[in-house]
Amino acid sequence: MATVTNWIDHLSAEEVVGAVYPGAGSTETLLVILGVVFWIGWHVVTNKSESEKLSRLARKRHGANDHKSNVTEW
Amino acid sequence: MTDQLGALTVIFTEFYYWVTVVLMFLIHVGFCMYEVGASRYKHHQHTLMKNTMVIPLVTVTWFFFGWWIYWAFPTGPGIAPSIMNESAALITDESTFSAKWYLANSEFMAVNLGDHISGVFWAAFLLFSWTAASIVSGAIIERITTFAFGILAIAIGSFFWVIDAAWGWHFDGWMLKILGYHDAYASGVIHAIAGGFALGVLIVLGPRIGKFSSSGEPRNIGPRNPWLVTVGLFLIYTGFWGFYAACNIPIFDLGPEYGMEGVTYWTATNIYVTPTTLSGITYNFLMSLSGGLLAGYVVAKGDPFWTYSSGLAGIICASAGNDLYHPIQAMLIGAIGVVIAYKMHYWVERKFKIDDAVGAVAVHGYAGFAGLVICGFVLNGYPSSGYSVGAMWDGSTYASINPLGQFLGAIIMFGVLGMLPGYVIAKILNGFGKLRIPREVEIAGLDYEMMEDDRDAEKAVASSTR
Repeated sequence: MATVTNWIDHLSAEEVVGAVYPGAGSTETLLVILGVVFWIGWHVVTNKSESEKLSRLARKRHGANDHKSNVTEW
Repeated sequence: MTDQLGALTVIFTEFYYWVTVVLMFLIHVGFCMYEVGASRYKHHQHTLMKNTMVIPLVTVTWFFFGWWIYWAFPTGPGIAPSIMNESAALITDESTFSAKWYLANSEFMAVNLGDHISGVFWAAFLLFSWTAASIVSGAIIERITTFAFGILAIAIGSFFWVIDAAWGWHFDGWMLKILGYHDAYASGVIHAIAGGFALGVLIVLGPRIGKFSSSGEPRNIGPRNPWLVTVGLFLIYTGFWGFYAACNIPIFDLGPEYGMEGVTYWTATNIYVTPTTLSGITYNFLMSLSGGLLAGYVVAKGDPFWTYSSGLAGIICASAGNDLYHPIQAMLIGAIGVVIAYKMHYWVERKFKIDDAVGAVAVHGYAGFAGLVICGFVLNGYPSSGYSVGAMWDGSTYASINPLGQFLGAIIMFGVLGMLPGYVIAKILNGFGKLRIPREVEIAGLDYEMMEDDRDAEKAVASSTR
């Protein structure tokens, strides 16, 4: 996985390769796929939890001033 | 980098953009504070988290596709040929400024010893993207779902504003060539489009419960924490300094770039590669801020919320031409923009029952639109681009700055790429029942359960004996 194991050899090569991250040249597309899955997954998970929370709260039908009894300033 | 002077130039440029990114972070801090200050107590934490999530959502999508769009779309596609390859297709060839290098799986989108600039330039544009999304965020507080806002933030932050930047900001953009569009510090490219997008969303989203009386008269739901709003707006001003610097290229030799044989001319340039100075735009930034504050204090009769916002609107209105204006021109233009934005805000509110909670459509949208149009008159005849000095595109030059081109540009920014997509996407989300929170939740407060948990925890702590 390591792209560089010896900086002296790397920087004194006839043509210095710029990309130095692990897996350079072979893993980028896989990383993008993983990243997109993570991103879309976040929307799916948070959408579900938000919908549940909003439905639960809506069912209780609190009044406009009820939240004042929850203020923790004592 | 083997030549020390060349290395210093590159490292200076890298560091320059990095500093602008850090400064611009304050814009987002300011927007968060501002929104929380403007929202009511029972919605505070939701308001804060909604805008905070702009950071990761726009960042990752900007990495995946936003940055690629900027480099791929200057030609339209299909509207005007590129000066690089004379094709009107998407720019995805092997040329130096091709979008090919900015695909998410490109080796230049990472630590690369051969490229010191892409990452900081990517980040500078990303911070512009956060700003575009954050502008929308403020207008729609207290009633939108986080899910819907996330989709809208990605749409404006990583797609629509980038299209307009490719068209009207990129040195190869078709709007420069055909319309003579000029928008040095983003009156339209960021502000008018984001304001327009917010308006499109607001039309579908509707007002907060209680904003309008049964007879349709608007009620004032003013900021609940004016001091947080104050600090937030001061931070936005501060970040705006970084924004201005980030819109420049700090050091560039225009001689060879313009094809002038034997001429060396090192200077800072604006994003269109026409010369300006950091010193000159500092005059104009401060004078347009002052013009906005002075006018805002008068039209708002000393109301602090509007006076502070007017400072911002003043800068936004003058930004299109602040690379070239005289400071007094900048001041007067800033003042004019504020009057237009303030009057338009209340007229639209009454006429169309639009509840823009923080005046974002006015401060960014109307002031930005007005700034573009004014720029067309004041800078009429100036080159729209550094490349208009020679026959660089299809044997002809870029159009010069002109009033009609600027007016059409303003319509494209505010209406075509802003308001219309905002409206359509909001309609779709609304159709799925995902746009607006339930009425009962809006009345109870989005933070109700969180506050309830805190109260129970506090009671438990208070009643404990050890």
